Amino acid sequence: MLDLSAVATLAGVTKRLGGKPVLDGLDLAIRAGEVTALIGPNGAGKSTSVGLLTGRLTPDAGEAQLFGLDPRRPAARGRIGVMLQAAGLPDVMTVREVIALQSGYYVDSLPVAETLELAGLADMAERRCGTLSGGQARRVQYALAICGQPELLVLDEPTAAMDRGSARALWATVRDMADRGASVLLTSHDLAEADALADRVLLMDQGRIIADDTPAAIRARAGGAVIRCRTRLAPAWASILPGVREAGMDGADLRIVVAEAAPAARMLLDADPALTGLRIADATLEDAIAQLLSAEERVAA
Amino acid sequence: MTDLAVPQGVWRRECLAEVRRSWRLPQFMVPTVLTPAAFYALFTLALNKSPSPAVAAMTLAGYGVFAATGPALFGFGAGVAMEREQGLIELKRVSPMPAGAYVAAKLAAAIVTTAMAVALIDLLSLVAGVRMPLANWAALIALHLLSALPLALIGFGMGMRLGGKAAVAAANALFLGSAVLGGLWIPPEMLPGWMRIVGQLMPSFHLAQIGRWIVGAPTVGGPATHAAIVAAMTAVAGAWAWTGWQRSPA
Repeated sequence: MLDLSAVATLAGVTKRLGGKPVLDGLDLAIRAGEVTALIGPNGAGKSTSVGLLTGRLTPDAGEAQLFGLDPRRPAARGRIGVMLQAAGLPDVMTVREVIALQSGYYVDSLPVAETLELAGLADMAERRCGTLSGGQARRVQYALAICGQPELLVLDEPTAAMDRGSARALWATVRDMADRGASVLLTSHDLAEADALADRVLLMDQGRIIADDTPAAIRARAGGAVIRCRTRLAPAWASILPGVREAGMDGADLRIVVAEAAPAARMLLDADPALTGLRIADATLEDAIAQLLSAEERVAA
Repeated sequence: MTDLAVPQGVWRRECLAEVRRSWRLPQFMVPTVLTPAAFYALFTLALNKSPSPAVAAMTLAGYGVFAATGPALFGFGAGVAMEREQGLIELKRVSPMPAGAYVAAKLAAAIVTTAMAVALIDLLSLVAGVRMPLANWAALIALHLLSALPLALIGFGMGMRLGGKAAVAAANALFLGSAVLGGLWIPPEMLPGWMRIVGQLMPSFHLAQIGRWIVGAPTVGGPATHAAIVAAMTAVAGAWAWTGWQRSPA
């Protein structure tokens, strides 16, 4: 159980919220120098796990550790930076003032100007927080997370409420932080985000971890390929082709998820000479996760 | 617990930031500072045809406590509840800032606001002819500034338990109760018996009694008794505030 390279761990953690069990004996370790993405459906226990690791919540049973310390101690929190999902900002303070105040909590903080630059806020430093748009406020939250040069950066749904351009800019700075040696834990609904950033994906469902691997390995494990085409053939017919995991209609297209594309595609073409619009793509992380989750449900049922 | 990981000066910077923040909320600051002086001028000076300095000094003891009530109950109680709803406390909680610095900063802002309100009342009392030795002035001002503490702790405990709207309503009720029942507006001698009894449950009553003793006005019971009662109430309010902070998930 003792993982020396772990910066943050949950060991046998049980947590009930509002009388409902959210986590039941969860073991989880965030390793140093990696970008770890915690993903899963709503209610899977992602935010609860983050709350326990950052000292906002206390386990009912089991133990949470941050750099070998109790996460509720300021000394442990001094080594992490956290970007919360639902945190506000003081309306009447300027962006610079908020960041300067937060920087003062850390022993080895970045110069305020550099934090502003990294978070893309240099041109709005003197604006009051109350005048910022949703996406701009998220960038301030990101700045507050990185200003202390944390060893572990915790990002809870970092790009929710951001447009694609801002999100990509943020991904680039997160990668940059990781390259400088910071460990990153992020939760996300956006699987493209996990795919773009993460070295390791932890897939959570109903308070348990059901997959723990690199994004590529998870894609490969579940995935293979996705075939789309326009055809008179029914999904029920397609579902008995060799290696087919899933067959259904997507608009007017037949959509099949398959382990190996070539044999299935050949049989489709033979069966329907009038078939058009044939496309074959790698399964995305999203396809793979959907399969893992539905397989999990079948096991549970 | 000594935590070397927290740098020097965190408490001071937090306090300065909070004071600056309250300056930028004139819609809160202006009424909080002016209301006690306006009430003091109206009830004590204008409504009495020829206010004697003795009466002006006696009521001054209570109005100074009243000046501390607004910042403590609204700045702290309602303010903390709203900050909690807006996720501002959450932000502080995941940072390495010590919890005490947050409370100290809020208290500093309340005391600065109180100081301005008290200064205005003290000036008015000088105009009304109140004279006493410098040491008594110093003691009275110190008492009025420190009155913010027990009231603020009550406000804090309230703010950690109630939602924003409920906290505003509760702050208003306590504000009135503290002022009326505690005998800050109208001397307790002139209140009906039941009000005087209920009023003794208010820290404001005991604080005003200590103030009366300082200005040489008649009191019910000795200052040591009132000081002990205020200390006990402060300790209970402090414990209540602390458990509120511990229990609140956000």
